[in-house]
Amino acid sequence: MQNLKTLAPLAWRNLWRNTRRTVITLIVVSVGLWSVLFFNSFLNAWGQAGKDAVLDLLIGQGQIHAQGYMDDPSIERLMRPPEGTFLEALEAGEIGAWSMRLQLPGVVVSEYKTLPVNMVGVDPAAERILSSIPEKIVKGRYLLDAHDSSVILGISLAERLKTGVGRRVILMSQNVAGALSEQSFDVVGIYDADKATEDYYAFTGLVAAQKFVGLDDEIAQITFTIPEEEALESTVARLALAAPDLDVRPWKQLSLFLATTDSFMQNFIYIWLAVVFSLMAIGIVNTQLMAVFERTHEFGLLRALGMKPRQVLVLVALESTFLIGFGVLLGVALAGMTIWALADGIDLSAFAAGLEMFQGGQVLYPQYDAQRFVVFSLLIWVLGILVALWPAWRAAKLSPIEAMRQVT
Amino acid sequence: MINPIVRCRGVGKSFGSGELVVHALRDVDLDILAGDFATLAGPSGSGKTTLLNMIGALDRPTSGTVEIDGQSLAGMDKSGLSELRLHKIGFVFQAYNLVPVLSAQENIEFVLQLQKVAPDERARRAREVLAEVGLEGMGHRRPSALSGGQQQRVAVARALVSRPSIVLADEPTANLDSATTTELVGLMARLNQELGITFVIGTHDPRVMDHSQRHIELLDGRIASDTRS
Repeated sequence: MQNLKTLAPLAWRNLWRNTRRTVITLIVVSVGLWSVLFFNSFLNAWGQAGKDAVLDLLIGQGQIHAQGYMDDPSIERLMRPPEGTFLEALEAGEIGAWSMRLQLPGVVVSEYKTLPVNMVGVDPAAERILSSIPEKIVKGRYLLDAHDSSVILGISLAERLKTGVGRRVILMSQNVAGALSEQSFDVVGIYDADKATEDYYAFTGLVAAQKFVGLDDEIAQITFTIPEEEALESTVARLALAAPDLDVRPWKQLSLFLATTDSFMQNFIYIWLAVVFSLMAIGIVNTQLMAVFERTHEFGLLRALGMKPRQVLVLVALESTFLIGFGVLLGVALAGMTIWALADGIDLSAFAAGLEMFQGGQVLYPQYDAQRFVVFSLLIWVLGILVALWPAWRAAKLSPIEAMRQVT
Repeated sequence: MINPIVRCRGVGKSFGSGELVVHALRDVDLDILAGDFATLAGPSGSGKTTLLNMIGALDRPTSGTVEIDGQSLAGMDKSGLSELRLHKIGFVFQAYNLVPVLSAQENIEFVLQLQKVAPDERARRAREVLAEVGLEGMGHRRPSALSGGQQQRVAVARALVSRPSIVLADEPTANLDSATTTELVGLMARLNQELGITFVIGTHDPRVMDHSQRHIELLDGRIASDTRS
């Protein structure tokens, strides 16, 4: 402690002997850390926006199907609406919303074209809480209730069918008897989502869809959302326990692309951290080596006056500690201010087409990630000090006589 | 019999190896007594600085023994030698011998800080020695704001502040003009006489030798003469 009291003020003053060099190092450290912290928030925001966009649309945080439905999504593999303990599990606190759906593969026919389609029977009241499709109606209206036997089409599908609101289309799908059902549906709304969804998903009322294929109340899936993603794993486990004969899956098993992108986003920052730190380390070591070489004579003098090698090491290491610590504080402040300035979101709608390909959201909202702010800042600080120990060690092992022979 | 502050017996120091060995010191026997004001003189390469380095525990002899205040340097590690220098020896070097980021007073106090002396005591003693070397009121100045002579005075003050057993000065006047040299040597001589501080000064400056009570002449790494006036 006494050592620190003696050496810290000297280390601090030494830092400002070459202001230009100190400022350059501060810039290197602070900009490097800023890039890591901001990039982390940006990637998180990008990942979150993309994830939200995709999950909110149709997938939800998880889905429940009859066993085997995911491998063979046919009308023979449906399930009954939830009841008893299963229903209680779905109504439990951690589940934000859930909705029953019937998904029927079939074809849609207009006056001009016949195209494949996934007809989804939904309960509009539940979908309004769970899915973003109701908000994406750009023409006409959304479905009124589960009995609504009109249809909602995506922009792209409507364009390809050369149809629109106020026109009629015919939907065909296999019914419970194994025959083909066909029925005319009024197009009442057009929604705007990503092209893949627009092309293949048409929506009608759940009861209307069940009637269309001759079902009573069977459904193909239950989609659910949970407000706290951390609770997803335990929720899936709990639901699986409540409905052991059903197939409960989290979104990562339902959209592998999204899961891979999410994992990449989470881990890419470490690659960036390694790149930035490597560059930073070169700068720090170079600066501190220069600082040590320039003061070789002085280190000899300090050693001659009675300073121990360990104290010289501490002195130089303290200089690095202050320098990098100050740079880290600046970097944190810069990153904090940048994120604050962008709190209203980064609008990437100009790149909407490209983002759609990557399932990315169009407006990103970078947020403070307190845990990573602390971890990355400490990591840069500690690693910076560790690499700067090499110049410090060189200074400490100088022989006082050899060192004092050098005149700088 | 007075115990000497420095006791060298059969001290030799050689550099290099094989055919390129240079013998800087050969079989030197020397005692420095308390209160000595001694000059080490001799032509360049005679071994003055090497001998001062041995006495100052800055280097180790190749052969023989060196004792400072009864403590043998043999077997001491680097930290032990640092500790010995800190408490027993004061140094005045030729030039560049103050820490530029510290003021005159802080340079003086620094040695006391290393000795873990309390702040008030440090400040008091630093002010006292500044006054002793005639720099009262100039303690706040950084070395760059002091003349060469004033810087050497600060170096003398720093060497004295911990009341070491001996002060070693290697060519302390080499970078000073004539008037400043006279002033500095007069100061050291006065401190020797008034406070009994032991000085060993490596020099070939006759103005310094004129003040010395003891004159040690080195030649080719050996003591050629050792006279008292």
